[in-house]
Amino acid sequence: MISPRVIRNLKKQFRSSLLPKVGLLLVIGVIIVAVFAPLVAPHNPTTQNLDRTELPPLGFTKTVNDTSAQMVDGEVETVTEVTTVNATLSYPLGTDGLGRDMLSRVIYGARTSLLVGVLGTTLAVLVGVPVGLIAGYSGETVDDVLMRLADVSLAFPSLVLAVALIGLWGRATVSIPDPFVAAGVASGMPPSTTLPITVVIVVGLVNWVWFARVARGEALSLRKQEYVKAARALGASDIRIIGRHVLPNAMTPIIVLGTVQIAAIILLESALSFLGFSGTTLSWGFDISQGQDYVSSGQWWIATMPGIAIMLSVIGINLVGDWLRDALDPDIEGEGGT
Amino acid sequence: MSRETGIQSRSPTSAEALLSVRDLSTRFFTEEGQINAVESLSFDVRNNEILGIVGESGSGKSVTALSLIDLVESPGRVTAGEVWYRDADLAEEYRDDDSVAVDRDHVDLRTVSDRVRRGLRGPSFSMIFQDPMSSFNPSLTVGEQIAEAVEVQRRASATPRSTRARTQGYGFGRFIVDTLVPSRGYVTTPSKERAVELLEQVGIPDPTERAEEYPNQFSGGMLQRAMIAQALAGEPDLLIADEPTTALDVTIQAQILNLLRDIQTERGMSVILITHDLGVIARMCDRVCVMYAGEVVERGSLDDIFERPTHPYTQGLLGSIPDVQDPQPRLQPIEGNVPGLLDEEMGNRCYFADRCPKAMDVCLETPPERDARGSSDHAAKCVLTDREYAPAEALPETHFEAAETRGETDE
Repeated sequence: MISPRVIRNLKKQFRSSLLPKVGLLLVIGVIIVAVFAPLVAPHNPTTQNLDRTELPPLGFTKTVNDTSAQMVDGEVETVTEVTTVNATLSYPLGTDGLGRDMLSRVIYGARTSLLVGVLGTTLAVLVGVPVGLIAGYSGETVDDVLMRLADVSLAFPSLVLAVALIGLWGRATVSIPDPFVAAGVASGMPPSTTLPITVVIVVGLVNWVWFARVARGEALSLRKQEYVKAARALGASDIRIIGRHVLPNAMTPIIVLGTVQIAAIILLESALSFLGFSGTTLSWGFDISQGQDYVSSGQWWIATMPGIAIMLSVIGINLVGDWLRDALDPDIEGEGGT
Repeated sequence: MSRETGIQSRSPTSAEALLSVRDLSTRFFTEEGQINAVESLSFDVRNNEILGIVGESGSGKSVTALSLIDLVESPGRVTAGEVWYRDADLAEEYRDDDSVAVDRDHVDLRTVSDRVRRGLRGPSFSMIFQDPMSSFNPSLTVGEQIAEAVEVQRRASATPRSTRARTQGYGFGRFIVDTLVPSRGYVTTPSKERAVELLEQVGIPDPTERAEEYPNQFSGGMLQRAMIAQALAGEPDLLIADEPTTALDVTIQAQILNLLRDIQTERGMSVILITHDLGVIARMCDRVCVMYAGEVVERGSLDDIFERPTHPYTQGLLGSIPDVQDPQPRLQPIEGNVPGLLDEEMGNRCYFADRCPKAMDVCLETPPERDARGSSDHAAKCVLTDREYAPAEALPETHFEAAETRGETDE
């Protein structure tokens, strides 16, 4: 499946342009941060510290107007004391309204986003690819039925569909124990990561259509290949032909689409958490929704920091996706939606 | 050869025939209309012989082959006919089944289920295709693909005609595992060894190393050999070779044909060789069917066709071969093209009449198949089998042109 030619193309594309390097750097960065979150994060992302709320990020200061009323000569006088709050090195991205470290929250948020992105995409692949391959390979009625089904689910705006499904199924979560904490390497960190399982299922079911369409398109052209006919002439069963002859040759666009879909699903997850449908409170989208109240009063960083994190990871994944697409198959256009 | 085995006796089968095809029709239902790609075709394939099917492009040769092994793709469909295949076990199994036609040891494959028909592909019928380059999956090694064919047959013979045995261990989860962990293949070591043996038998040097290579590392001739090896995996009774040498250059063609001939003799199997090359036919075949517009227009032994061609089409084909000994006479091409085979345009006439230099008034009726001079097998669908060409009754040359213009103005 991965031929020397593909590897050569990948290298060539990688060297010839800056974008794949940036993308790969970002993606690897996000993955390392997400995997080693307890070791990388300076604080426990859930520990509140009401003495240090709303600290600004490094390089910025914040002014606080402390207005107090005093009785002077029988009259009420208001005195405004202006204090300047400086950033602290131990909270490089500042703290949120409850004094939680923004950097640690962004680091832990990467875990949620990546988990949902990868698992959601896997689910979408597992549902979409078989449906698409069977539809494309069988053709005729089977194809019509399955693809109309896909069209129907495509007709719903994905966010609305996701919200509706979560409303139907509730916000179930699964606690995944943190191996680093369990091993005693990282003390004082949350002992488990909360995976919003409903969100994973919903984003998978919302996005399977893209995989079904791509897989169907590939299967449609591959089933006309002589070697498929030859395999049939030798008595191979349909499922074996799909598995051995169609799927391996359809992998390239599926891999490319999968990469792009991880980014799309991260965005969808953020949107869902922003709207409060996620079930976990350690998520970029959730932090943005918390931070939006503070933007008008000057604490812009609470919403901005997770926003930048989303932007960087999505850009990184898309750049890697473009790189793979250009290297693996110059013919296909990027397909996929949010 | 006794007289009873002739087609005219109309008994559905004869004991010596491995395969008897009767009135097989395949139609394609396209947007332009119904296309009669194969029209009431009848022929026999005997034990241990090479039957040649020859004709121009578009005469229905390949569709005939695909119809035999039930691989016609939509929008095509086998609409009528019988395909009698001799298999004593199969016949015994269906003897009491009313829905399946059984005649002595022969079973009509058009009446058995799809599953059974698929079960016969491989161990009973096998096919090699025109273009070896596109007949191998580029993402699997050649050895792997042959070994898979062996494995399919191995499992099939463990429990004959059971679909379960073939797919056993190859459910949906399995193909995901196979894709993610390619080393854990479906094929077993004996199958891989057998694949190397097969490669050796078809004359591929260093078969062990070549088995590990991908199709793009093979030359066209080598791949055609590999495809023959793959087709032999199931030790078929009947090998259908659809233009096996068309994509190859002349020296390689000769090698491949010799190989086919040797394997056929060695294994005692029957071969249907489809080609448009009369040279190949002359070199390889015992008997020949000449096809035109989806019909067999003339059939007979090699001598009948080459020495005593009766149908003007066969004569035309032979007239268009250059003769090295006598280069003087100009080659005589057959004017015009094979008709489009659209049902509505076909009508009831001899389909060759519009191109036939000897067309007569009687040719506007469908000619039945008649015995011709020569061996008992020799027959042709032409009035000239039992009468001479009479110039007085000739169709005017403009007859079909006029019909064509009428057709155009109708539109």
